[in-house]
Amino acid sequence: MTQTLSQWLTDPSPSSRAQARIGQAWLAWLRLRRNHLAMLGLAIIVLLCAMAAFAPLFATHDPFTQNLGQRLLPPGTPGHWLGTDDFGRDIWSRIVYGARITLYIIALVAVTAPVIGLAIGTVAGYFGGIVDTVLMRITDIFLAFPRLILALALVAVLGPGIVNAVLAIALTAWPPYARVARAETLTVRNSDYIAAVRLQGAGAGRIIWGHVMPMCLPSVIIRVTLDMAGVILIAAGLGFLGLGVQPPLPEWGLMISSGRKFLFEQWWVATMPGLAIFLVSLGFNLLGDGLRDVLDPRSASR
Amino acid sequence: MRDVIESDFIEIDNLSVTFEAKGRRVHAVQNVSLSVGAKQSFGLVGESGSGKSTILRAICGLAPVSGGAIRIAGEPVNTRNAKAFASRVQMVFQDPYASLHPRHTIDRTLSEPLAIHGIKGTDARVVRALEDVGLPASFRFRYPHQLSGGQRQRVAIARALMLEPEILLLDEPTSALDASVQAEVLNLLNRLRAEHGLTFLMVSHDLAVIDHMCDRILVMQHGRAVEELAREDLASARMKTEYARNLFAASADRMLGATSKD
Amino acid sequence: MSLLEIENLRVTFDTETGPVHAVRGVSFSLGRERLGIVGESGSGKTITGRSVLRLIRPPGRIEADRMRFDGIDLTKASEKQMRALRGPRLAMVMQDPKYSLNPVMRVGAQLMEGLLRRDRLGRAEARKKAIAALEAVQIRDPERVMEAWPHELSGGMGQRVMIAMMLIPEPDLLIADEPTSALDVTVQAEVMAILDGLVRERGMGLIFISHDLRLVARFCDRVLVMYRGKIVEELAAGDLMEAKHPYTQGLLNCLPRIGGPRKPLPGLDRTGDWANA
Repeated sequence: MTQTLSQWLTDPSPSSRAQARIGQAWLAWLRLRRNHLAMLGLAIIVLLCAMAAFAPLFATHDPFTQNLGQRLLPPGTPGHWLGTDDFGRDIWSRIVYGARITLYIIALVAVTAPVIGLAIGTVAGYFGGIVDTVLMRITDIFLAFPRLILALALVAVLGPGIVNAVLAIALTAWPPYARVARAETLTVRNSDYIAAVRLQGAGAGRIIWGHVMPMCLPSVIIRVTLDMAGVILIAAGLGFLGLGVQPPLPEWGLMISSGRKFLFEQWWVATMPGLAIFLVSLGFNLLGDGLRDVLDPRSASR
Repeated sequence: MRDVIESDFIEIDNLSVTFEAKGRRVHAVQNVSLSVGAKQSFGLVGESGSGKSTILRAICGLAPVSGGAIRIAGEPVNTRNAKAFASRVQMVFQDPYASLHPRHTIDRTLSEPLAIHGIKGTDARVVRALEDVGLPASFRFRYPHQLSGGQRQRVAIARALMLEPEILLLDEPTSALDASVQAEVLNLLNRLRAEHGLTFLMVSHDLAVIDHMCDRILVMQHGRAVEELAREDLASARMKTEYARNLFAASADRMLGATSKD
Repeated sequence: MSLLEIENLRVTFDTETGPVHAVRGVSFSLGRERLGIVGESGSGKTITGRSVLRLIRPPGRIEADRMRFDGIDLTKASEKQMRALRGPRLAMVMQDPKYSLNPVMRVGAQLMEGLLRRDRLGRAEARKKAIAALEAVQIRDPERVMEAWPHELSGGMGQRVMIAMMLIPEPDLLIADEPTSALDVTVQAEVMAILDGLVRERGMGLIFISHDLRLVARFCDRVLVMYRGKIVEELAAGDLMEAKHPYTQGLLNCLPRIGGPRKPLPGLDRTGDWANA
């Protein structure tokens, strides 16, 4: 093995499917690396993940320990750099532990909503006709409701709680993915390479799964990263309204909600978790924009 | 009797294809008949919009047939039985940049037909197919965008031959390629036809390419058949219709000896 | 004095896998004549044509020891100066009219746009000029074409409209990049004849870029043959058959001929020293 890793990655004649795929991913990564804003976004998200994974190391206090003697300390107080809330809990530590909940919600939504959307969108787009009409009208119905209202209604039925909040968000988040996937499928459906695989006798399932979906995936992934900001905000919104995560869990929306009472005198209680939401949303948006340049099939094929 | 069947391996009888676009009916092909003998090479020539490619697509069930019949070896084609049809008829498309899946490696593209038909021995067959079309085995795990146009078209030809079909439909297989690459691909197609005993139905706008590849030629215009010619009639300019003669005149610089010294 | 002088033109694209040298030291000069640039895809012929108008987008870079058009140094000209040159003095016709015409504007409006804005003509006069331009490219009923949408035109018609549009400001140099390869053979000849006649009448310089050696030889005075970003041979069009370079000879021989023998076509041998130079 005299070959270096980078030679192996950029080998023009890979010797296995895996090497070919990893090589392509490496090239995409090189392209992404040129985009400084996307790298900033990625850094924010990596930091969020690190914070969630190693929360005990980052946090200076236990997020649940109440200390009424030290309630509502302003930011900059030694030991409590971001201040404390109305129960005297360290805001920084609560934000750090809150990252876990935020990530949990994001991850759950990211593995459910796009999958539902992708399946419905590609099937509707590929078959067309009556299948398309029925599936897309259902999508329209979901789209016609304001997302938060629909999520509220679902949580009201299912009862408050973190899992139900995620379920509600996922059920309201899929229609845009279905639209994106359908639009992409319509352009791919009549291409020569789909005609070629049809001529080889492939069935609809194989074509949709193996040939159409890979073409829709990039747009959906881009859409997912761009939507993550919205998901965080809805989760925060549900938390704020008391329908999502229940106290005393340190969820960022919930923290804003509890800070609302002192917004004018002790502004930091609501502002600090708000800043966290803002930063993470920004991170996802920047990364999504960068990914669009890298993954978009129209720009990558050239 | 057997001879008759042999000479009518592909039979197209009064074929019409009508598209419905925005409430307007477009007659892409009107009452075209032709027949191709087994292991023969038949050419369809015409300008854009003459319906020549639509005939190929109609054979494969990719275009809506509104009238007439298509028979292969005496049986009406049944594209609903996709697998049986696939092992009999395959197609090579015009644009090699659009006919290979951009996110599949060459290996995936070539092994897909084997997977669909449950054929074993994928590795050996893929390597052999690459060899057959003159591509090095090291290309196996490349993506289409890492290949040139000519190499892509070779992959598309290899894919079409994976199921060992009897009939190859060629839709302008070289019009997107450079002249020197066109020569290589045409040579390859001729070699493969001889080796595999294939029947070709080829579409092109280039009379010289059709002349080089085909024994019989059908000239088409506006969706209708204009004139059917044997190869010899074309070379000696024995055409009966005005349009065929015009087409021939416009290709004058493609004549043997037109610009060469001899 | 020559209209265009180019010395040692180099165009480089920086990609993530390293720089790609699309044009590697091309030099030529052009008077009021018809110059053909021939080569296969990837030979750099289109990039050469586009760099004359400085229409290369980043990550592409244009470098040249000398690039002068009618005394103007194109390497130093500002983007504003270039904009003033493109159109009135330097024009380009692209391969496919479908992508060059604005699909949501009537043909007439597109033809008249420049006349109204740049030359500040009145509507009636602009219209008269536009119709005259359409007549010059042998469109039979210019009045109807003026009112047509681009998608209603056939390929040949669209390409004629494009040529008419480029010729309205009477440029000194026209760069035609494969203007006929999207067209049917019978239309191809007509469009070429129109282009040829206009160049002769108006005394323009013409750079005709094509992959078709014989087409170029028929319509040009001089031919440059390009391969991998370099000029491998320069010929008077009439001497095409005396081409010395193996690449030029290969290009000529590899085409099938009507009535030709049924033996394998001679391929282009790329094993010579020239191929890797």
